[in-house]
Amino acid sequence: MAERYVVRFSKNGYAKYTSHLDLLRFFKRAFRKSGIQLRYSQGFNPHPKLGFAQPLSLGYSSCCELLEFETDKKYETEEIYELLKNEMPDGLDLQWCKGIDGEIKFLAASCESAEYSVTIPYVLSESDLKKCIDGYLAQEEITAMKRQKKDKKMVAVDIKRMIRKLEGKASEHGIKLSMLLDCGSFSNCSPELVIASFCSFAQIDIPRYEMEVERREINFYNNLQF
Amino acid sequence: MELQKKLDHIFKQIEKPGRYIGGEVNSIKKNIENIETRMAFAFPDLYEIGMSYLGMQILYNTVNKRENLYCERVFAPAPDMESLMKKEGVPLFTLETKTPLKDMDMVGFTLQYEMSFTTVLNMLDLAHIPLLSKERGEEFPIIAAGGPCAFNPEPLADFMDMFLIGDGEELLPEVLELYAQCKKENLSKREFLERACKLEGVYVPSFYDFEYNNNGTIKSLCKLNENAPEYVLRNIIPETESLDFPVKPVIPMVEAVHDRAVVETFRGCTRGCRFCQAGMIYRPVRERSKDKIIELAKAQIEATGNDELSLLSLSTSDYSDFHDLTLELMDYCKSNNVSLSLPSLRIDKFAFEVLNKIQEYKKSGLTYAPEAGTQRLRDVINKGVTEEDIYTSVEQAIELGWRHIKLYFMIGLPTETEEDLDGIAQIAKNIIDINKKYNGPKGGRFRLTVSVSNFVPKADTPFQWERQNTPEEFEAKHRYLEQRLKIKGVTFNYHDSYTSVCEAVFARGDRRTGKALLKAHQLGCRLDGWSEHFYPEKWKEAFKSSGILPEFYAYRERQEDEILPWEHIRCGVSKKFLMSEKHKAYKGATTSDCRYGCVGCGINRRVDCKLEGIYG
Ligand code: SF4
Repeated sequence: MAERYVVRFSKNGYAKYTSHLDLLRFFKRAFRKSGIQLRYSQGFNPHPKLGFAQPLSLGYSSCCELLEFETDKKYETEEIYELLKNEMPDGLDLQWCKGIDGEIKFLAASCESAEYSVTIPYVLSESDLKKCIDGYLAQEEITAMKRQKKDKKMVAVDIKRMIRKLEGKASEHGIKLSMLLDCGSFSNCSPELVIASFCSFAQIDIPRYEMEVERREINFYNNLQF
Repeated sequence: MELQKKLDHIFKQIEKPGRYIGGEVNSIKKNIENIETRMAFAFPDLYEIGMSYLGMQILYNTVNKRENLYCERVFAPAPDMESLMKKEGVPLFTLETKTPLKDMDMVGFTLQYEMSFTTVLNMLDLAHIPLLSKERGEEFPIIAAGGPCAFNPEPLADFMDMFLIGDGEELLPEVLELYAQCKKENLSKREFLERACKLEGVYVPSFYDFEYNNNGTIKSLCKLNENAPEYVLRNIIPETESLDFPVKPVIPMVEAVHDRAVVETFRGCTRGCRFCQAGMIYRPVRERSKDKIIELAKAQIEATGNDELSLLSLSTSDYSDFHDLTLELMDYCKSNNVSLSLPSLRIDKFAFEVLNKIQEYKKSGLTYAPEAGTQRLRDVINKGVTEEDIYTSVEQAIELGWRHIKLYFMIGLPTETEEDLDGIAQIAKNIIDINKKYNGPKGGRFRLTVSVSNFVPKADTPFQWERQNTPEEFEAKHRYLEQRLKIKGVTFNYHDSYTSVCEAVFARGDRRTGKALLKAHQLGCRLDGWSEHFYPEKWKEAFKSSGILPEFYAYRERQEDEILPWEHIRCGVSKKFLMSEKHKAYKGATTSDCRYGCVGCGINRRVDCKLEGIYG
């Protein structure tokens, strides 16, 4: 019987420039080094059973990343936490380790939505910001340009129904948007689509690289909580 | 704007920003206040390449063991990073603390290949450090270089304050300690260099100058500073057993070319291939004991979580206790789910026993390096491989189920004729025929790759006086071979000829060739080792406008009584030996591996050769 666990970690500072694949490689190695023996898949090319609940785009920070994995042997979650904590490089901090009930689907398949916070160094008054957000959300269709996977062509998509919540705060340093978006294999909306379409709607002319995005929370179907 | 913010902007616009962030597992953070000498170890190529290089891990570890010294790392930025750094005015910085290189006490480049020289200049430029040594005042760091290409340091002489020649494990910390001392005494750079040049292995180029004959050859070397030695002896560490070895190497966060645990089994080589510089400049062979190697391997696997282990040396199978070492490592690796890789393995009976147990090998294919197509030419270059050896071994490989074989050859070798090129094709044909015996007349899925590189004469080898083929000669040979190798199942690869020309000019260039480097740099050359960043036209222009002619430096045979540009750098193998090897080459006479008995290369005047005559 496989034992299932999930660890939560944050990704901050320069570590946010570590790619999804490099991070996965890092964790595989950290497990080997810590001596926690992962369960391997069967078949010709066995690989360890571990994966992120949701990939995080390069350059995003996060306080809520989840890595799910399986072992053959039962470990105390406290033990896993202690062993892995020491392997974390600069900018990655382990928060906790918990067991997962065997009945639950893979986390990657259970993601429903995710919350992001976007910092834009563009000064607007509180009321102007509110107007922009209301106007943006009131559009019949919220169109964003998305690159298609298969032919790399840009196509227009309507993301209106994927935006579950959009709020903003203004300060003298700029604005901070807080958004709750569909996330997962059923319906997925990248914050990039909201950022681009919102900035163009509100005529905020700031290069993307001056903005910071942080993932604040990942939510699951059936109100699954850890 | 503060640096972190600028970097945040830059990192969002480039590929693989992870190359520039540092903070990897096992990288070292120190409190700067307690540090006496800060150095940046600079690798003139991309992160993925530099992080696979063991020498950097060794020196990083050795220097950082000392509390008062701090060694940080810096690699060449990729072009996208480079242009944004220029745009944002961010000078080249170290990974560990993001400190601009110009605030270091020393920047030390490792010179692994000639084609990285313009990258060295470009990195200095990106660091806002003047390129020429004489233009750098006291406020700039000491710029140093070491590594195999430092054995002919002259092409970079105008840019470097000092070179470190030979083994660096003891020399580098010694130089950094000396620097700390001089700083305490408030001495100038020049005074520091005057003291440093007394250390074995230190070469300060500005303390010497050259006079030239009318025909362009060197007339004499003149010493400009009375403290400087007549010639520079390479630093040799007599044994490697007790040397520090990094068991906690920095683990690359961006996937490196090699991502594995590595243990150096021995330094040096006794085979004496006449084209090979490494075979000369690292003599004598210095082995680690089997137990030490295993101990280091285990410690490293445990400390890194690597799942692959590799051994490093110039020729894996020559390790004196290879049989037992391999069996023990195989045992260890098997029980710890680690895959073992044995590069440059001599494919004999034992190798098959081993390889058969290490699954991965069948995928990657078997590699042979006969280097030349006929026995005559193999004798000339002293490559002790016979065709019979290869065929027997290939036959066995095919029988055991290998489907891919790779052959390495060199063209443009001294005395080469058309017959030798035909020989290459003949060997390929014979191997294809052997395969048909086992896999039927259609050959099955069998593939044979024939890779041909261009011979580049190197300093400190018996072929240091030889001429190199011109690009036209190389290309004619490539075309000839292409015709001959139109054989079903054979893939033919060859190297770009103009790259080889540049390599040859700097491998044996004198101090004047630095002008061509400077010109090439100004024309935008860097990362020349990457074919996508190599611009032959710019190089041609650089040579032309600086008056540095490949005809003189590369295609010309040098006279035996000529003063060679690297003669004052003594690797320990005598010129007399190199010359006699050259003469033997022309007679087709071979020289045996000195494990059968000393053949008089001269290194034993400096250190003991522990392996001399061990084969009896
Ligand atoms: S001195 Fe003799 S034994 Fe020592 S490396 Fe040279 S040839 Fe070999």
